[in-house]
Amino acid sequence: MSSATMDPAVRAPVRARGRGRIRYHRLLFHVTAVLVALLFLAPIFWVVAASFRTPAESGQPPLPPWPTQGFSIDSYLRLEKFGQSILHYSGNSLFVAVGTAALTIVVSTLAGYGFSRFRFPLKGLVFLLILATIMVPFQSILTPLFLLLAKLGLQNTLIGLVLIYTTLQLPFSVFMMRNAFDAVPREIEEAARIDGVKGVRMLVQVMGPLVLPGVVTVGLFAFLNAWNEFLAALVLLTDQSKFTLPVLMTAVRSGRFGSIDWGAVQAGVTVMMIPCLILFLILQRSYIRGLTAGAVK
Amino acid sequence: MKITTLTGALILAAIGVSGAAKADTFTMWVRSDGSEFMPKLVEAFNAKGGDQAELQIVPVNELVQKYAIAAAGGSAPDALSLDLIYTPAFASSGQLKDITELAKSLPYLDQLSPAHLSVGTFEGKIYGLPFSADASVLLWNKDLYRKAGLDPEKGPTNWAEIREAAAAVGALGDNTYGFYFSGNCGGCNIFTFTPLIWASGGDIFADDGNKATLDTPEMHAAIDLYRGMVKDGVVPPGAQTDTGANFFAAFANGNIGVTPSGSFAIGALNNQYPDLDYGVTLLPGQDGGVSSFAGGDNFVVSEGTDKIDAIKAFLEFAYSVEGQTILSHNGSLPVRADVAEAALAGLDARYLVSAKAMTVGRTPFSIVFNDLINSSNGPWVTMLNRAFFAKDDAEVQQAIDDGQEEMQSIIDAAR
Amino acid sequence: MTNTTEIDPAATPAGKPPPRRRRRRGSGWEGLIYVLPAAALVIVFFMIPLGMTIWMSLHKWPLMGKPRWIGLDNYSRMLGDRDFWGALGFTAQYTLAATVGLLGVALILALMVERPSRGVALYRTAYFLPVVTGFASASLLWAWLSNVDSGLFSPLAQMLGLTAQPVNILATFGPAFWSVTIMVVWKMAGFYMVILMSGLQSIPTDYIEAARIDGAKAHQRFRYITLPLVRRPFALALILCVSGSMLAFDQFYIILSGGPQNRTVTAVYYIFNESFVSFRLGYGSALSVVLLAILMVLSAIQLRLLRDRRES
Repeated sequence: MSSATMDPAVRAPVRARGRGRIRYHRLLFHVTAVLVALLFLAPIFWVVAASFRTPAESGQPPLPPWPTQGFSIDSYLRLEKFGQSILHYSGNSLFVAVGTAALTIVVSTLAGYGFSRFRFPLKGLVFLLILATIMVPFQSILTPLFLLLAKLGLQNTLIGLVLIYTTLQLPFSVFMMRNAFDAVPREIEEAARIDGVKGVRMLVQVMGPLVLPGVVTVGLFAFLNAWNEFLAALVLLTDQSKFTLPVLMTAVRSGRFGSIDWGAVQAGVTVMMIPCLILFLILQRSYIRGLTAGAVK
Repeated sequence: MKITTLTGALILAAIGVSGAAKADTFTMWVRSDGSEFMPKLVEAFNAKGGDQAELQIVPVNELVQKYAIAAAGGSAPDALSLDLIYTPAFASSGQLKDITELAKSLPYLDQLSPAHLSVGTFEGKIYGLPFSADASVLLWNKDLYRKAGLDPEKGPTNWAEIREAAAAVGALGDNTYGFYFSGNCGGCNIFTFTPLIWASGGDIFADDGNKATLDTPEMHAAIDLYRGMVKDGVVPPGAQTDTGANFFAAFANGNIGVTPSGSFAIGALNNQYPDLDYGVTLLPGQDGGVSSFAGGDNFVVSEGTDKIDAIKAFLEFAYSVEGQTILSHNGSLPVRADVAEAALAGLDARYLVSAKAMTVGRTPFSIVFNDLINSSNGPWVTMLNRAFFAKDDAEVQQAIDDGQEEMQSIIDAAR
Repeated sequence: MTNTTEIDPAATPAGKPPPRRRRRRGSGWEGLIYVLPAAALVIVFFMIPLGMTIWMSLHKWPLMGKPRWIGLDNYSRMLGDRDFWGALGFTAQYTLAATVGLLGVALILALMVERPSRGVALYRTAYFLPVVTGFASASLLWAWLSNVDSGLFSPLAQMLGLTAQPVNILATFGPAFWSVTIMVVWKMAGFYMVILMSGLQSIPTDYIEAARIDGAKAHQRFRYITLPLVRRPFALALILCVSGSMLAFDQFYIILSGGPQNRTVTAVYYIFNESFVSFRLGYGSALSVVLLAILMVLSAIQLRLLRDRRES
């Protein structure tokens, strides 16, 4: 690796030596960076490729991961046999994830605006109240939560799950949105106010576009977390037709009759991962930008 | 007999008539182990018109917890096919309906499995009726026996023979192993490992489940049997971390010589792996003798249900010759003795071995069974996992001592 | 209590004077209306259940059957519960390993990709991708890869000639622990990389250039310029990482089931077992209360460190 790249630099005239060394460093950097990137992508690639192997192959070690006995979607078809259609469970997951994202965006934008731009009684306490939830393991309040949902007539409903996920999402999202609003110069607001803009219009029309990266981040995090969460769903949903994908997959993983279908697990993991990856790749810029803005503040 | 049939017919007719007027639908759960026979039984029942059953299959490890949470939230199913060992715990907590009256109305009550009824009865009232039955047995792979030069028609009758056969098959190499067990699964091992102890004259509980008796010569000997085979390398490395996910599949894949398993495996093997040539025998004691774990499900009814008529119709269907036949052909044993022969007719002889196992089978009684035995972090499985894979005798002794102490403290705390 | 109000000024961009809040704004209640939905959700779905948890911790509360008031019995029993303290000890061990591993790897990654140049955007994306997959999927994936028969690691090691026999890496504590820790680093490093990167990028390039011209070596530039400026994002990463690791559950539940021999049962896992496996909800609640107190103390310490540093 090194001798070939070193040679030109070594033979180069003295004047060019600095540039050569920089080029050598850059090459070394790119080689390392690519290797690390492959390392990070390998498990994802492995499971996606392996999920398309034939039933006979799917229990074998994934060396190599891709199908060698012909391409097959049998692993996905076997997933269909667990309860209702895999599309049905994907629909449940999608409903919960989209619902959580939408509700989180609305609630945390309002709260972020309120915390950033207003002073009101108990402000510090309310902010602490919301932030403090991040320190409490929600596993510890699952059973009271279930009793509570039952009282509200929301047990075994995806809406109940959406409300709980949104609550879990709030500390991060409110903190994020407050910072996003803090970053907007007051002059913009003042100017709009002189033009007679007030209240919710101010929030939506003037501030909205300026905090959009924050909104996207908050929505994306809410979506991904709700899509991926499995413990609360596992405990709170007892009706099989309401299962989300991760709960379905634990059932698949626990096997039937003491036999574990690794092919179905690979297919299920793929189904769970792909939407997240695609969504992230599309929204990556605002996602990272928003997250970065949140972290610096 | 004639009267029985007549009464049955009358009841069926009555249900048929009233069913046309107001057919009810009741909800029912079954653990995933029942996913072979239960859907077929429900399908046949629903096909009759009349009352309908709505079935949900719940992963075996989550059933108790899901039911308890659902009951607390008021969304419990009307009925539940429950692992029979949990019946005492459920009945004692007041979640179940007293179905003594329903049971007494069955003319063939005295023909139903006594092991099920004994754990289904709590303080003189019947809360659980036998539903499916499963007995632990020993399986061996005849093809591998032939390759290893063993007599393929003769299964092990004592521990020395188990070990010899495992060593011979293990010596074949090429990813073939002599023996398999799920080394990190409490439920699997109470089912398949304890009978080895019972058959040798030992037990793990004494005094009606109020005393744990783990530190016995029989326990030490049985652990040494497993440990020896692990040391010899005739047990696949995956066994050490198998939490039961591979309990059945390991043998089904055809590279295991001998494994303790359950009668459920016969139906599943015949349906899914028709090419596998295997034998079934009873689990032996150290120097002969046999035993088995009489397992399966009790049918229980939730306290709050108002669908008792529909549930009764379903139970009567399940106890009919047709129902028992569906059960027997799909991985369960018959639970009604007077129709067992008819239900098993036409099945291969291996079923008869497991039906016999049922008659010598035992069922341990404890209201903290889940904490002690089935919990994946409980004292039973922790002890066995440490002991089976221990490096020396001192480690085995330590594992047993710790397990004994923790088990007893759990039992004491529950009293 | 005062911590949050202390962070407030910190929330403004560095270098600018903190803007005065709420200039000549009308009634003090308008802001409350905006935060009301969030507050309502937190109260109904968090504070009330939390209060119920504390209430339940004073009872013997089976999941089925009637609860019974027992005062502080659950707490006194906890003192002698070796398994719980063992679980806490393991959680601390894991938190240490995961935090060091995560923040170390994340810092290296962040330093690699902080400056935009050709290819760097692609590297960032690659390093970040595992973050979005979720712990359940990642754990299921890892459970498969670590499986001795059908997985990748053991057959691969055998193929490469590293081991003669199949090795069940999940069977002994050391390899199992490190396997899960590596999974977590793989999955989460990208997240902390982005947080740290945002700190690094906030450093004005002229500082570094000036220091370079003044003859500061690379490690000196890092120590005296980079490090002080990334303190705040680093502290945020630290807090997130520590509290996240202290609450670890999914990976140990899915991949290891708490094994081998119950040695990877985390604090939350132990609480889950008490509450949802053994149905001792009262005792489980008491354990939750204690874990909560420990986390509060940890977070308070970290917030204080963060504040003191900023002021010095």
